[in-house]
Amino acid sequence: MSISTVAHDPSGPPSKRNGGHLPSGAGEARFWTKLAEWQLALPLSLAFAALFLAPLLLLVATSFFNDDKITEPGFASWVKFFGDPFSYKVIADTLLLGLKTVCATVIVGYPLALVFMDLSPRLQKVLLFIIIMPMLLSVVVRTFAWIVVLGREGVVNQGLMWLGVISEPLRLLQTELGLVISLTQIEMPLMLLPLISVMSRLDPNLRDASAALGASRWRTLFTVIVPLSAPGLVAGCLLVFASSTTAFISQTVIGGVRLIYLPLVIWQQSLVVYHWPLAAVASLSLVVSVLTVIAALSYLGRRSSRHLQG
Amino acid sequence: MTFNRRSLLAGVTALGGASFLPTIAHAKGQVIATTYPGTWEDAYRTVVAPMLKKKDDIDLELAPLFAMDQIGKAKAARGAPPFDVFVLDPGPRIVGIEGGLFEKFDAKKLGNLGKLPAGFTDDVGVHVSAQVVGIAYNPKKLPAPKGWGDLLKDPWVSRLGITGFQTTFGTSSLIELSKLFGGSLTNVDPALVELKKVLPKIAAVGLPAAMPGLFQQGQCDVMYTNTQTVATLKGKGVDVEFVKPESGAITFFTTMHIAKGTGDLENAYKYLDLVIGKEAQEALTKPPYNFLPVNKDVPLAADMPMKSLDEMASYVQHDWAKINPLRAAWIEKFNKEMAK
Repeated sequence: MSISTVAHDPSGPPSKRNGGHLPSGAGEARFWTKLAEWQLALPLSLAFAALFLAPLLLLVATSFFNDDKITEPGFASWVKFFGDPFSYKVIADTLLLGLKTVCATVIVGYPLALVFMDLSPRLQKVLLFIIIMPMLLSVVVRTFAWIVVLGREGVVNQGLMWLGVISEPLRLLQTELGLVISLTQIEMPLMLLPLISVMSRLDPNLRDASAALGASRWRTLFTVIVPLSAPGLVAGCLLVFASSTTAFISQTVIGGVRLIYLPLVIWQQSLVVYHWPLAAVASLSLVVSVLTVIAALSYLGRRSSRHLQG
Repeated sequence: MTFNRRSLLAGVTALGGASFLPTIAHAKGQVIATTYPGTWEDAYRTVVAPMLKKKDDIDLELAPLFAMDQIGKAKAARGAPPFDVFVLDPGPRIVGIEGGLFEKFDAKKLGNLGKLPAGFTDDVGVHVSAQVVGIAYNPKKLPAPKGWGDLLKDPWVSRLGITGFQTTFGTSSLIELSKLFGGSLTNVDPALVELKKVLPKIAAVGLPAAMPGLFQQGQCDVMYTNTQTVATLKGKGVDVEFVKPESGAITFFTTMHIAKGTGDLENAYKYLDLVIGKEAQEALTKPPYNFLPVNKDVPLAADMPMKSLDEMASYVQHDWAKINPLRAAWIEKFNKEMAK
């Protein structure tokens, strides 16, 4: 029996259809469909449990040890991390970096997605290739390329000096501005791909209808296109936020170590001083704080979508 | 496409079979050794691996990892080491000894033992290279600094690139800087106080691995580093010179250790014997690798800051058994003092 057959056989075996515990008719069909879906999802669920949940539980367990040798259980690592005001600054800076990157990718990416909608299918393919191209390069290479662009003797500074705009090179590397600029480019595909996927399914007649009813282009944008593209926008924001807050290589190579974010603290505690309980606390703080913002963003996304349907 | 039991079993069998492939390769005779990324990796891949294959028919598989990462991975593996041989600096070496990560080392198994100066082996490993730490600067942009103190003065400070306590060379340099302002081997606070005073002027504060790249790109023109990084940058055409600070350059030895529980003990000894042998040491001393040799029969390169290994006894050396317990707090302090 093939698994695919099970998936398409919602009625299930006749012998199991009664018994009084199972719903009848349409409800029973739904039950067997659900069961078949679970069978299909089982391998992935098991892999998820073994490869994600188990290490996560191990991480939680490790955080409840006091010493770097992991011998003495206790809350000392939590107390040490959250008893230090510097930790709150690091968490806030990490989340702010994510939000700034999200804002920048939306500001640059949304107009690009609008342009994409108006292009011919052939040009859309070209633009899509250009959007995906950075993803084909290693993030390390992309990050180091930004050193060449933003450096003291880099392309931007040399260009501005040649134009006579500045007489001394600007400090762009090892600043948050430089980091946000580079993360915007590095994370851009994560914003654009879901956005384009949703926007390309929008009915072009809606824009015409809006114009025919007398709405200006801006009004059409804000009352028709933006609300309809909200699911893609929210998905893009979530991906960019999660990726930029955890982008250790970009944060440390472009931002330097004066800009301290949670991934740097985790790296230092786990691989430099080997205090794994403290590294576990920092990791869980990153997971929880990022998930909280992601939950808030998806709640806003759902609310706006309900508002639209209502 | 249907996904039936038979194709599932075939897939699982194929995957299971594939997992035996490394074991088959292993059986031929190999050793998995760590190496530092960059020059070390290039040198060991190009020079040492072919020599080992030719001499002992052993395949050398290199795992490029910084010293700290090696210790982290070995600790995480809990008794099943992911490699057979470590290459470490003094600080991580002590962490490895304390963590019981090394096999007891039997120096008598090294045929080239007699070629090493006395004290270059112990019961945990063998010295394979020396390192000298001092100041690197761009002679086209800055005059030569005389010592650590100059780094905090104009014109050097505004072109200075610094790194924290994550590495041996970073920690050693900050200790020496601290000594100038009343600090000591165990007190680096004066260095952090002085650095904080000039922090807005400092050109770059980066991760150790990023520093050569930042120097190459002109983001900073003076930094503390080792002779090997200077030689490597020079080899790439970068304008860079090494300065031995007037209070003395810092020196330490890089050591190799056999991982506890390795299945390739004999191959590991053969590898270590080859690494300290004249042929490998001589090849590694030459450009573009520029290693400082430990074999007595191999002369030092002409542009090294010393004429012989004996001269290194007069250089500054640090006791890492005293530094290690303090380093976590130093890193934390560096984060807080340097954070924007």
